Amino acid sequence: MTEKERSGLWWEAFRREGVKIALTVVSLTAFLLIWWGFSIYLDSIGLRYLPSPDEVYNAFIISAIDGDPFTQLPLINHIVASLNRFVWGFALALAVALPIGLLMGASKYSRYLGMPVTEIMRPIPPLALAGFFFAAFGVLYGPIITVFYGVFFPVLYNVMFGVRSVDPILMDAARTQGASRLQLFSKVILPFTVPYLMTGITIGLGIGWMVIVAAEWIAAPGGGVGALILSTYTNGAYQYMFVGIISVAILGILTTSLSRVLESKVSQWMGMK
Amino acid sequence: MDGDEMSILSFKDVWKVFPQDKTELVAVKEFNLEVEDREFICILGPSGCGKTTLLRMIAGLESISRGSIELNGKAIQGPGSDRGMVFQDFGLFPWRTVVKNIEFGLEIRGISPQEREKTSQKYVDLVGLKGFERSHPNELSGGMKQRVGIARALANDPAILLMDEPFGALDAQTRNQMQKELLRIWQETKKTIIFITHSVDEAVFLADRVVVMTSRPGTVRTIHNIDLPRPRDRASQDFINLRKTILDELEQQRQGV
Repeated sequence: MTEKERSGLWWEAFRREGVKIALTVVSLTAFLLIWWGFSIYLDSIGLRYLPSPDEVYNAFIISAIDGDPFTQLPLINHIVASLNRFVWGFALALAVALPIGLLMGASKYSRYLGMPVTEIMRPIPPLALAGFFFAAFGVLYGPIITVFYGVFFPVLYNVMFGVRSVDPILMDAARTQGASRLQLFSKVILPFTVPYLMTGITIGLGIGWMVIVAAEWIAAPGGGVGALILSTYTNGAYQYMFVGIISVAILGILTTSLSRVLESKVSQWMGMK
Repeated sequence: MDGDEMSILSFKDVWKVFPQDKTELVAVKEFNLEVEDREFICILGPSGCGKTTLLRMIAGLESISRGSIELNGKAIQGPGSDRGMVFQDFGLFPWRTVVKNIEFGLEIRGISPQEREKTSQKYVDLVGLKGFERSHPNELSGGMKQRVGIARALANDPAILLMDEPFGALDAQTRNQMQKELLRIWQETKKTIIFITHSVDEAVFLADRVVVMTSRPGTVRTIHNIDLPRPRDRASQDFINLRKTILDELEQQRQGV
């Protein structure tokens, strides 16, 4: 390859990336401008439920430093409170769903035993049960259990499916190498299931995040992003409500990108990419 | 054959019956064979003749319905590391590197990491995978995957090597190359090999003896001694004649003679 060809390739790559970046900027700018235009228009006809970007920006600064005028808690407190509930609910779901999923995947009888119950419970949206969870477990654990319920089933079903998808040739290969039942489990079934578990986790993260905001509408001692959104909404302070909405969006993007990075790292590490 | 003490593997009136809904499916019946130490046996037969079932019974992956298969005088009861198996679809663990795949059986047996590394390196060298130790199976070509499969089966130092159409998933050129490689490995390791194939050409190229099976229920139809010197020349008249004899036999069988 000559010097000229190489610089040509470099230029080609730069142009491709450049186009991508330029279009991203165009897309976000257009979004912001349309939002701005709409809010000005709505304001001019007397509807003020859509604050303009600069109003939201100012509200954001106030929320971050002193806290919004309604909950009077700094934004970071709301975020930490929500994350706290989310993480506990998520961890609990993982800790319970993983062993049950492995068991139900590996043993026909535990599947016969477990499936009727899980099949009844799985289609119930976690939020339909939120009131019950708050009544039964209190305002402290209610939201955690609600998240738990949302994360539990995708993890359970993906793990169970993973175990059942184990390639029979791999089992045969391990058996001809002298593997015991326990070794078949730890050295074939378990590693084979990891990518399926990761899929369950990614789906669970999305659901858990949706659930936590709405659960905090019921009650959220110590604050929470959902509580922020609700109290600013009931007070008609829409610029503060949008601060809450944007916080949820950013946290949601962060969690899903984190799980995506984790998923690809795991599959790379396992040589399955 | 009176050399019973010579034989490493013996089939004594082996049957395999699969229970069906109302009837029974007889896959293998009255199979008798004595295999000598260091012998290269190819089992040839039409598809569905029970040759894979037979191999899986030796491996201990299928139960034996009647009769017995004895390895060094001991009846086979279940799978064990004294028999190494190579699969048509490789059966490699995708999350393990080449060396980790080869070390699988050693790990199972609780061999120390240093010892494992020494052994796996030996077999990496034997099958010609130097430089690919840390690769994952999905980074390898079909031929190289099967080299890993062979190394993994040999790493336990089994008494016999069981191969279930191991080159069936490879293209013709790689297949011929792998056949030569296998013969070299066989001569270096001095193993007994039971090799399942449906390619007459492959069987005549590789085997000391070719066992032709009948179609279902499968049993021994004929045994051909291949007395051609190695390396064998596929274009030689003797090779062609043997090939033709066996092909004709299979054709007769297809026509129900």
